[in-house]
Amino acid sequence: MSSQPVLADGGTRHLLMGNEAIARGAIEAGVQLVAAYPGTPSSEICEVLIDAAPHCDYYVEWSTNEKIAFEMAAGASLVGARSIVAMKNAGLNVAMDTFMTLPYGGVKGGMVIVVADDPAAHYSSTEQDTRFAAAYAEIPCLEPMDQQEALEMTKAAFEISEEMELPVFLRSVSRISHASGDVLLGDLREERNQLGFNKHYKLPFRWNVYGPPGALEKHKWLHSILPKAKELSNISPFNKLNLVPNSKTAIVMAGIGAAYGIDALRRIGLADQFSTLKLGMVYPLAEKLVDELLEGVDTLIVIEEGDPVVENQIRAYVQSNTSGLTIYGKSINKILNPYGELNADVVSEALAGLLGIEYCGDVMSDVRQSIIETVTPRSSTLCAGCSHLGTYAALKQVLKKYPGINIINGDIGCYEQGGYGVAGTTPSPNDDESKKYPNISTYEMLDTIHVMGSGIGLAQGQAHVGYSDGKILAVAGDSTFIHAVLPSVVNCVYSEADITFLVLDNRWTCMTGHQPNPNTGLSSLGEPRERLDLEKVVRAFGVNHVMKANAYDLECLSETIHHALEHKGISIVIVEGECMLQVQRRNRTVNVKTHVIQDKCIGCRACVNLGCPAVTFDKVKRKAGIDPLTCTDCGLCSQICPVNAISKKGRD
Amino acid sequence: MKQEINIVVAGVGGQGSILASHIIAEAAMCSNDTRREHFKVRVGETFGAAMRGGAVASHIRLGLVESPLVGSGRADLIVAMEPLEGLRNAAKYLAQDGLVLVNRASIPPVDVKVGNFEYPTEDMIVQSIGNLGGKVVFIDATNLAIKAGTAKTVSVVMIGAAYASGLIPCTEEKIKQSIENRVPAKFTKANLDAFALGAEEYRRITNGS
Ligand SMILES: Cc1ncc(C[n+]2csc(CCOP(=O)(O)OP(=O)(O)O)c2C)c(N)n1
Repeated sequence: MSSQPVLADGGTRHLLMGNEAIARGAIEAGVQLVAAYPGTPSSEICEVLIDAAPHCDYYVEWSTNEKIAFEMAAGASLVGARSIVAMKNAGLNVAMDTFMTLPYGGVKGGMVIVVADDPAAHYSSTEQDTRFAAAYAEIPCLEPMDQQEALEMTKAAFEISEEMELPVFLRSVSRISHASGDVLLGDLREERNQLGFNKHYKLPFRWNVYGPPGALEKHKWLHSILPKAKELSNISPFNKLNLVPNSKTAIVMAGIGAAYGIDALRRIGLADQFSTLKLGMVYPLAEKLVDELLEGVDTLIVIEEGDPVVENQIRAYVQSNTSGLTIYGKSINKILNPYGELNADVVSEALAGLLGIEYCGDVMSDVRQSIIETVTPRSSTLCAGCSHLGTYAALKQVLKKYPGINIINGDIGCYEQGGYGVAGTTPSPNDDESKKYPNISTYEMLDTIHVMGSGIGLAQGQAHVGYSDGKILAVAGDSTFIHAVLPSVVNCVYSEADITFLVLDNRWTCMTGHQPNPNTGLSSLGEPRERLDLEKVVRAFGVNHVMKANAYDLECLSETIHHALEHKGISIVIVEGECMLQVQRRNRTVNVKTHVIQDKCIGCRACVNLGCPAVTFDKVKRKAGIDPLTCTDCGLCSQICPVNAISKKGRD
Repeated sequence: MKQEINIVVAGVGGQGSILASHIIAEAAMCSNDTRREHFKVRVGETFGAAMRGGAVASHIRLGLVESPLVGSGRADLIVAMEPLEGLRNAAKYLAQDGLVLVNRASIPPVDVKVGNFEYPTEDMIVQSIGNLGGKVVFIDATNLAIKAGTAKTVSVVMIGAAYASGLIPCTEEKIKQSIENRVPAKFTKANLDAFALGAEEYRRITNGS
């Protein structure tokens, strides 16, 4: 990306993805430090800034988790620099401790916290609305309606941060971050903040939140400056009031809710009929603008993406001073759901329904539904030749030796697809039935999945409370291991938990787009680095039973896992196998040799159950096959076939 | 011109549908720069996490628009790099009298490969789209791409066909420029050839009918 649009001249117009727009905003503002941990849909912010780094003068890195990235940005700001930290919704939970505390002391250089939420949970475990967190931490929160605003708000956020001496929160959503729009670029700020450190800034020891005069005084200080934030909200260029004379109905539209709202009003023929307040600065509430909006209004509609965060602020504010007003939104008079994602269709229906407008969104909806029901799915799977396929195949083999109800605690990464249930059968919800349920499909291996690093924690709880109906295992990828598992391993060792833990070491942070991590051997900018030695680390923590095995040697891997399961106390198996996509990118397998010897195939589908997308099955002939376009000759299916019908030697 | 134009570009991960949608959107943006107040460009991408080989669809909205997703039954044009994805997206988004351009080469999903589901026949696709009141044109884009020099240009063959349909509000010069901007320099010629072949094929098929 050398012709990067994020580096183009001010005044030119480009099609930019929301994440690119945010990155450009940071460049325009003269950012000096960028830190992030990958997480969809936020990753491109840091990726773009890494690509642009050779042409700019900021420090940029993928940190090992969001809390560290957050602290990087905070540290840079305390010495006066402009910094930005980016993460996905769940990332904020990891950074939460520092996030809640930093505002008590405030910041010096502009600090912008970008969190990309994921309404409808396209890429996440939850739909959590992180605007609550901005209000919880009592810091200003901005929310763009489109990519142009994403750029302008990022830039403005640095200014607001310096004016308020507080970090500023920028809440994006998937449909901003992962959507593109026409964006007019602004000019670059030439000057850079001077670095310096004032030990006794304003309140004594302001940077030492615990220090005198104590956290309570610092919280009071935070409240003393909030009115100023409210004033900024009242005059923010991102909050636009459009009054229509004698309008009894008013609409507040926040963030991307404004984009859906405007589209919907146009669609149902009500554009410019009502007074509207478009909010871009959503915390604190622009109270004066709300007062003006509500003059003579009896019906207020609030359109926002996620939870009723703006709506509840308005409810709390108007409670005492406005009577005869009914508010419609996502809480008390619900016209929109506080879960799932908005779009112009649902907003149009909601508005038309409430306002009594005749509207039919789609005359063909019945025909459409009947066709949709017949369309074959395209399930997501692990990639052809993925090393996780080897892990699951070996686990299936080994666990046959343990007839109890074994628990495999999963974690977050590509391997979580081992719990997606693709092409699998659905177990009966009945407890007794489910006891008989065997782990046949690769995609039904993982019994629990929550958040990064949680699997090994759950395993310890199960072990220490005395669960004894079967073996207790946990798995996690290398990036996850470094991100959140390390302290948990120490806990395991010290508390003497009897569990088996598998590190699925494919060398990259794959699921989010192959970012390097300390186990990769490359820095964020691609320079060579010494790899973190995972085995040494866990041995140093006191794990005595640590073994490595190759994901593509099923016999040896099964044997190794078996040994580990027999060990009392914590045992760790590091399953090695670089991400096959990365291997193939460097060196694509051509002239695939793997094939099924049709005469030998007995149609047992053992190879199909491996779960590799390169294995096919002909229902009529009852024979397996190999798709030569996707196969990587990894050899896993040939090791699984009970009758040696899959050859790796090529055809004669 | 209509107030808003909605296009869905669909395919399987890795086929270049997102790139194609950006080429189309950029061409439309540059062709309408003088009236930018009334002509916004939005591209919404829908694809799952880590879904390599999964279904990918990119929504393009042009004109007096703010939000990035095409509404149900509102796509004037669907450009599909793969037949099943053409059907999937037509079922959700195609407007009555909408047009679906489909690359004939199929990529069966795992669900079909392992024998759990059937791949729809071309007749079924034609019939379903007919039931929705739309029209479908099949293009042998994969073969044309190979003719242009590399199978990697499939998505640009489809852009050529889409351009020839007249439904993209852009000039030929701008769309070619946009292709040049967004493909690797060493493949510029192959991609421009692919564009021309796609356009020619669309005209050939539709003149005959
Ligand atoms: C707190 C948090 N941060 C980021 C993410 C996004 N995310 C999903 S999977 C993943 C890491 C996967 O890497 P790894 O554990 O090495 O497994 P792989 O995908 O390589 O198999 C990340 C960062 C998340 N889900 N939660």
